[in-house]
Amino acid sequence: MEQGRGEEAAGPATPSREACTDPYLRCAFNGAAQTALGVSRSALLAHSPQGCEYLVNNAFASQECDYMETMTLCTKLCVDEIVHGGEDVLARTIREVKDLPISALFVISACGPEIVGDDIVAVCESLQPEVKFNLVPIPCAGFRGSQYDGIDIALDTILKRLVKGGGEKVPVSVCLVAPHANANPTWPADLAWVKHTLSRMGIKVVATLTHKTRLSEIENVASAEASLLLSHDAGQNAADFLSTNFGIEQVCKGMPLPIGMTNTERWLFALGERFDVRKTAEEIVSEGERMVTATCRRKWPMARFLYRTPAAIVADATVGIPLVRFVTEEMEMTPALVALYSSKQPVRDLLDQELHSLSLKPQVVYGTDVYKTRKSLREVNPRVVFGSTIERHASEGLSVAYVVEVVRMIRQFRMINREYFGYTGILNLFECVQNEWTMGWRSKERRYEAKW
Amino acid sequence: MNTDSIVFHGDLQQLLEKVESGEMIPKLQASHAPMCKFFTAYYVISGIRHVVPLVHGPTGCPLFMSDFVRTRECCEIRGVPLEPTACTTLDESHVIYGGEGKLLEAVKEAYAKYHPDLIVILSCCCSGIIGDDVESIAREAEKLVGCRVLALRSEGFGGDFRSGYEDAFRLIIDLMEPPGKTMKGTINILGARWGPSPTEFNWDMDEIERLLAAIGIKINAIIAGGCTVEQIRHAREVELNASWCYDWGQKLGDMMQERFGIPYSRTGQPYGPVATREWLLGVATPLGMEAEAERVIEQEMKEVEPDIAYLKQALTGKTAIIEISEFPGPIRALSLARMAAEFGAHPVVINVHPYTIKERMPSIKFLLEMGINPEIILTKGLFRLGSFRSSKETEDELEAITKEYDNVIFFGNSGRFPPCPVVNLTLMNPVFQPQYGFKGIKNIAALVRHALENKDLPRSRLFKGMLYGTGKR
Repeated sequence: MEQGRGEEAAGPATPSREACTDPYLRCAFNGAAQTALGVSRSALLAHSPQGCEYLVNNAFASQECDYMETMTLCTKLCVDEIVHGGEDVLARTIREVKDLPISALFVISACGPEIVGDDIVAVCESLQPEVKFNLVPIPCAGFRGSQYDGIDIALDTILKRLVKGGGEKVPVSVCLVAPHANANPTWPADLAWVKHTLSRMGIKVVATLTHKTRLSEIENVASAEASLLLSHDAGQNAADFLSTNFGIEQVCKGMPLPIGMTNTERWLFALGERFDVRKTAEEIVSEGERMVTATCRRKWPMARFLYRTPAAIVADATVGIPLVRFVTEEMEMTPALVALYSSKQPVRDLLDQELHSLSLKPQVVYGTDVYKTRKSLREVNPRVVFGSTIERHASEGLSVAYVVEVVRMIRQFRMINREYFGYTGILNLFECVQNEWTMGWRSKERRYEAKW
Repeated sequence: MNTDSIVFHGDLQQLLEKVESGEMIPKLQASHAPMCKFFTAYYVISGIRHVVPLVHGPTGCPLFMSDFVRTRECCEIRGVPLEPTACTTLDESHVIYGGEGKLLEAVKEAYAKYHPDLIVILSCCCSGIIGDDVESIAREAEKLVGCRVLALRSEGFGGDFRSGYEDAFRLIIDLMEPPGKTMKGTINILGARWGPSPTEFNWDMDEIERLLAAIGIKINAIIAGGCTVEQIRHAREVELNASWCYDWGQKLGDMMQERFGIPYSRTGQPYGPVATREWLLGVATPLGMEAEAERVIEQEMKEVEPDIAYLKQALTGKTAIIEISEFPGPIRALSLARMAAEFGAHPVVINVHPYTIKERMPSIKFLLEMGINPEIILTKGLFRLGSFRSSKETEDELEAITKEYDNVIFFGNSGRFPPCPVVNLTLMNPVFQPQYGFKGIKNIAALVRHALENKDLPRSRLFKGMLYGTGKR
C-alpha cells in the first residue's frame, strides 16, 4: 500500500505513524478503473454509490476514452443496498445493459458493497449465460490501497481471467505493462514513442496492459517473448506473473525509464542486446542525440542558465526517478530534494542506485503528501521545482522561483499529447522549462502608462 | 407537434404532480449519476476559510476535492490559497478493526500541521458502514486542540446530493453564537458553496454585493462562500438573511428563522428587471431601506433602459425555448423563463430532469407560488442510457421541436445546434458575466443581440461532430 508508508527521509520501508495525510495518490478503485478502461470495446460498471462514478470519470479521462464508444455505468447504491445488500441491484443493472455492443463488461466494486459482503464474482458468474459479452468482476474497494495497488489488482484479475495460455510464442515480441501508471498527464505519448521505437527495432507488441487494448490481444499475451514494464509505480506484479506462468522474460528491469539522453541510451541498448538489434539501437541513439543537439542549437534552451541551481523533483517514481539524471546531467541543475508519491522497496532501491551513481545526496521523501512536500520545500529551499500545479501553490511564500509543471498539470492544458520518453521527450521537457522561465521574466506591472 | 419523442408536455405544475406521484422518476439504475452526499457536504465546508475538512476514509474520496475543487477552482481561478484536503487514509485493517483511534490522532495532527480555525470530520462510505462514531471522536478531540471540531455524517450512500448541502448548512448553524448585539443594516447571504463554486460565479455575487453596497446594506458573511469562522459566529447578529439563489439558501434561511427568529428574504434569482427589483426590495424593505433601494433601482434602470427596450423589441412574440441542463442548472432555467416572459416571449422549458424537480421540490413550489409556471417538454432522450446516447438523442429532439414553433429563439448553450438563433448563456464564458442584476440585463441583451444578428452565420461542423458524432453539414 502506498499511502501511509511514507516517511520523512530515505531509509527502510517502515509504516508511517501519520494519521492525517493530504494525499497525491487516489484509491485502489480509481486504479482498477484506469486499468479496465484501457480495454477497448468494453464498458465499466461501478458497483458503488454514485459519488464513486467521479473516480471512474477521472480514469476515463486518463485513458482517453471516447464517450461515443465507451460507456461507464453505476449501480448508484443507497442506504437500502448497504443494509440489505446490493447484489439484486447489480444483477438488475447488468440486465439493463445486456444489449450493449461490447466485448467485456468490467464490474468493479467500491468500499460500501465490499464491506457489506456483496459477492460480485458470484453475481457475474450467474449472469454470464444471459449476456453476450465477458463479465469480468474486479473486487477493488478503495480501502485496498492506492491507485497503484488498484492497477496491480486489476491487472492480476485480467491476466488470470482472460489470458489463454499454451499458444506459440511470437518471435521477437513483447507485451507492454502498465503504461498508464505514469503521472505525465499525456502519457499515451510515452507509450506511442515506445511502440514506434520497438517497431523500428523490429520488435512486435503483442499486447499493451492496458491502453486501447482489444480483448483478443489480452487473450494472446502469453505468446509474448518478453515484457516491458513502463512504470516504476505499478505493474511489477503483472510482469512477475507473466514470467512465472508463461516464461515471459522482463527486459530493462531495474533500469530508469527512458527520460533524458543517458537513460534513453541505456534503455535502448538493453533492448538492442536482448533482441539482437544493437546496431539499430545505436542508430536510434545517434540520430536522436543529433536531432536534440541540433534543435537546441537553433532554439537555445534557457535551462542552461540554471546551472547548478538547486532543484526539487516532486512526482511519481515513473517520471521522478529518470528526471534525477536528466535534471543533473542534461540541464545541469542540482537535485536538492526528491519527493516521490511511491514508497515501495523497488522504488527506493532504484532511486538509491541512481543517486549513488550520480554522487548526489538530496533530501529524499518517499510516499510524500502535500504537507510533507511543502515542509520539505521550506527546509531545502530549492529555486526550481519540477512538479505539479499543487507545488506551484504549495511553494507560495517560499523562495521557489520556477515551478516547472510536468506532472498532473491543471494550469497548462495540452491538446496534443507530449511524451517525456525518448528524444522528442527531452525537447518537450526543455519546453516546459522554457515556458516557465519566460513567464518568470514577464513584467508584473508597468513603470508608466503609454499615451495612446 | 410530432409526439413520438415526447414523454411529457404540460406545465411546471403538472410536471411537479407527476414527480410527486412517482410517475416521472427514471427507473434505469445505470443512468444519470450526480454527485453523492459526501461531495456536496464537502463543497459547503470548504467554503469556510482556514478550515480543515478531514475526510475519514480512503484516499479516493478526496480525489475530486483535491484536484478539481481545491487546485483548479479555488487556487487557480478564485484566488484562494492552497488549503489542506486531509484524509485518514483508511485501509483494510481499519475496516476490520475500526478507525476511531486513527481519527482522533488525525485531528490532533491536523491541528498541529495546519493551525486551522475549524476542523470538520467528514465520514464517507467506509467509516459510515463500519460504524466509527465520528461525533464522539469530534467531541473528544475538541478537548485536545485549540479550535472547534465538528463531525458531519456524509456517507455517499446516505442520501442524495441535496442532503449533503443541507446537512452541512445545518452543521454550520452549530457554530453560530448567541448575538451580543444587532448589526444594523447588515445581512448574511446564504446558500453558497465551495467558496464559491461554478454555480455561484463570482460575477453574480459581485453584482449582488455592488447593488447592496449602493443601497447601504452591509454583508456579514456569505455562507459558505469564502466566509470566516468568526463571521459565522456572528451570523445571528444580522437583521436579515437573504440568498443568492432561493433554492440553495432556503433550507438554511428557514432553519435560522425557526431557531433564531432571523427573518429570511424569500425571492427568486435576480434575472431581469422585475426579479432584480424584487430581490433588492425583498432585502431593503425589512431593513427599512426601501427608499434608498428605490433610488438605486431608478438610477440603475436608467442605465439599462436601452437594453430593456432592445430585449422587448427583440423577444416580443417569439417562442423562447430554454434548455439549461448542466451549466448553470434548472433553477436558472426557470428564472430565465420568467425573464423571457417579462420581455414578451412565450417560454418553453425543455428537458428539465424530473430528478432535479424531485430534489428541488421546495424551490419549485415556491416558484409556482410566485406564478412561474412555464410550458415544459421532456423528451425520450433525457431518459436514455449513457451520456453520449442521451445527448445525441436530445439534440435531435431539440432540433425537431424547434421546427414545430414559429419565430423561435433558443436560450441554452452553444453545444446545441437548433435551426434558430442561439443565445449562449453558458456560465463557462466569463465575457458576458454577470447574468444577475442590472449588469446582467446588459449582458443578456448583448447575448440576444449577438444571437439574432449572427443567426445566419454557419455553425461549427467540427464541434457538432465532436459532440454528436455526425460531422456532416
